[in-house]
Amino acid sequence: MKAADLDQVRSTLAVYDETLLREVAARLVKPRNHWSRHELINKCLEVLQNPPVLDRRLADLSLPLRRLLGLLARSRQSIWPLASLFELLLAFGEEPAAVGPVVQDLFEAGLVYPVLGGNVSRLGSFGYWISTASEGPLYVLLPRPLMERVRLPEVEQTHLGETLPEVTPRRADGLELLLRLAVLWQQVYSLPLRRTQGGGFFKRDVERLSQDALFNSPSADALRTIPDPGFLLAELAERLGLLLAVEGEVRAGSLPEEWNEGLWPALGAIVPQLFRLCDWGPVDGYRPLSTHNQPFASAYLLTLEALGQTPSEQWLAIDLLQDWVQEHHPFWARSGVRPSQRGPWLEVFLLGVVWPLGLIEATQHQERWWVRFSDWGRAWFLGTPLPPSPPSFPKTLLLQPNLEILVYRQGLTPALLRRLSLVATWKTLGAACTLTLEAQTVYRALEAGETFESLAQLFEQHGTRPTPPGVLDLLRTWANKRERITVYPAATLLEFASARDLEEALARGLNGFRASENLLIVASEDQIDFKQFRLAGSRDYGLPPERCVTVDDDGVTLHVDLSRSDLLLETELPRLADLVERQAGNNRRIYRLTPESLARARQAGWTLYTLEQWFSQRLGHPATPAAKLLLLAPQIETPRLRQLVVLTFADAAVIDGLEQWPQTRSFLQERLGPTAVVVAEEHLPGLQQVCSQLGLKLPTTIEKLPG
Amino acid sequence: MTIAALASGAGGRIPVKLHRRVCLIITEDAVLAEEILARKKLAGEVVGRLTERVLLLRPGRVEAVLQELQKMGHTPQVAGKSV
Repeated sequence: MKAADLDQVRSTLAVYDETLLREVAARLVKPRNHWSRHELINKCLEVLQNPPVLDRRLADLSLPLRRLLGLLARSRQSIWPLASLFELLLAFGEEPAAVGPVVQDLFEAGLVYPVLGGNVSRLGSFGYWISTASEGPLYVLLPRPLMERVRLPEVEQTHLGETLPEVTPRRADGLELLLRLAVLWQQVYSLPLRRTQGGGFFKRDVERLSQDALFNSPSADALRTIPDPGFLLAELAERLGLLLAVEGEVRAGSLPEEWNEGLWPALGAIVPQLFRLCDWGPVDGYRPLSTHNQPFASAYLLTLEALGQTPSEQWLAIDLLQDWVQEHHPFWARSGVRPSQRGPWLEVFLLGVVWPLGLIEATQHQERWWVRFSDWGRAWFLGTPLPPSPPSFPKTLLLQPNLEILVYRQGLTPALLRRLSLVATWKTLGAACTLTLEAQTVYRALEAGETFESLAQLFEQHGTRPTPPGVLDLLRTWANKRERITVYPAATLLEFASARDLEEALARGLNGFRASENLLIVASEDQIDFKQFRLAGSRDYGLPPERCVTVDDDGVTLHVDLSRSDLLLETELPRLADLVERQAGNNRRIYRLTPESLARARQAGWTLYTLEQWFSQRLGHPATPAAKLLLLAPQIETPRLRQLVVLTFADAAVIDGLEQWPQTRSFLQERLGPTAVVVAEEHLPGLQQVCSQLGLKLPTTIEKLPG
Repeated sequence: MTIAALASGAGGRIPVKLHRRVCLIITEDAVLAEEILARKKLAGEVVGRLTERVLLLRPGRVEAVLQELQKMGHTPQVAGKSV
């Protein structure tokens, strides 16, 4: 994550024009020499990774800026809407006129960076960039190494908390959102979501996300329903990488690795994404492609900050908290806000989204909802020590002979949830959840790296009863079936000159699958110790076929340059031509096109088009006439065989005259060349007569050809 | 090193030709390869048979091949894929 942020900083600095880069570097690096652009960018990145220097730069900032950065850092979200920076500064009580220069100062200090679109190739000033905000929301990046160094300064806060007498806190187990995300992931795995060109979802997918009974139904212990839960899940899933936008579709990505690390890391990865929600908001639910939900990001952060300022034993009434946020946040503080925007949005957010994540505890007292950070919530937001992980109950599932799995929620962990989501389909969610094992889902788990043994062990380890033998047999059958075919999308093949060379390579420790006597398939190129080998040639099949064949003047003898040829060619050529000679010395192989070889090609479906394509790809020119003749000979129409009377003159101009003059034109047939023309035998006397009138004497007898 | 070893080139660098990013199917047995070749849609994607169990695929057509294999009821494993 840190490296990704620094890469983004590097690419952003590369877009700054010379003057801007030097201005930023003057504040961040304070160079003593004149460095080149490249060196300045490297120095900026070095400073961002140098804690003592960073601390000095942060200490130079004004109090409002330190407060702003400190609060943003607590969110653990490095990408923020630019508008949120303005909103937070105004909420701190800064004067509206002062906010613009203060934010610009942050950019000039090299502590935040604009998130630029791919179409931006040059940035001359931050002011200009900020002025483009009307074209769409702008985002800024706070590099993670900086976020780790920022500390929120002590400022005087209004304490809204109260101590409540004898209330029972309600705590969530934190699994609800993980379960629903897993259900959504499974559904998208089976059938991707499709996006319109405008960026919204197709009608079919809007219906899927809004009507699916499994992830839209409120959980039994939910404190508050939320609008459009399916869309909230879809947006969170995309931010977390469970779903990936690819070519106009949203497809299933990977289930997060954090889920294997325990409940706190799994939930901790979700919380920062709440500040990036754009299409979903607590008032209107799903509102795609609008800035409608933008003020909520900073409002959520102010809310959590107010909770963080409250002593751990005290509670905050949600309605009072909302009033406090609305009083300070410029979006609600301005006049003209619709009454619907002042609805109980904070209750929806806190009880419907934050509470299921286990970040807060809630209670009802005197008909009001009250909240406070849970121990984990305080640890996440304030950096206090993490509470111990929830107790584990490994024996928590029952695998039945009908392939149904019953999982008791109290023993469910994110890691188990992740594995079960791969191997079976969620059917119901509740205190006890059910799943179904299917061939396709087991196949999915096997693709993810599970084996029959690991699956058997999973059910053994977590099952309250032994796994039914019938289910084990089925798992074994499915696993074995998968072993029958292996597809390599991008294998590396080593082609040896002889079987002996291949055996020598194996003896030297090279691992791979022996495909033939001289071909070895290696899973990864990293496994090859290239010091052991001399490369006789290298071919990348991701590139277009290489021209590696030449043809002799006879049009049928093909010379293959073995150092440039590939396996495709070697499988094509035997269908098309016969091997004549192998010239090991000069790394060439000679093939010849013969009537028999081209008959084979014809039978294998080769046409004139494919022959032309092949010649064009492999030789770089059209097929030779001889090759075309051999391929097409059986299809050529039977030629005519006839005897003709051919009249020849020494001068082509004579035939031109005979062809042009109407008196003689009708006697002539086909012209064979400049000085030869065919005359029908029955027209010969007529032509002789007309020509004799001209004084042109034609022969009276037909000359016989020799032989 | 013995003369025989020198003659065989033992200990030296082995000449080899490297084929990168090759799309392949490896089957458990020859019959399964025949079954794949007999499937019209798959035969079009197979450009050659390197051995009786190894089929060479047209570059960039792996997804289509996987879908067709799954339609046939197979559950092929994909080398290097992770969920």
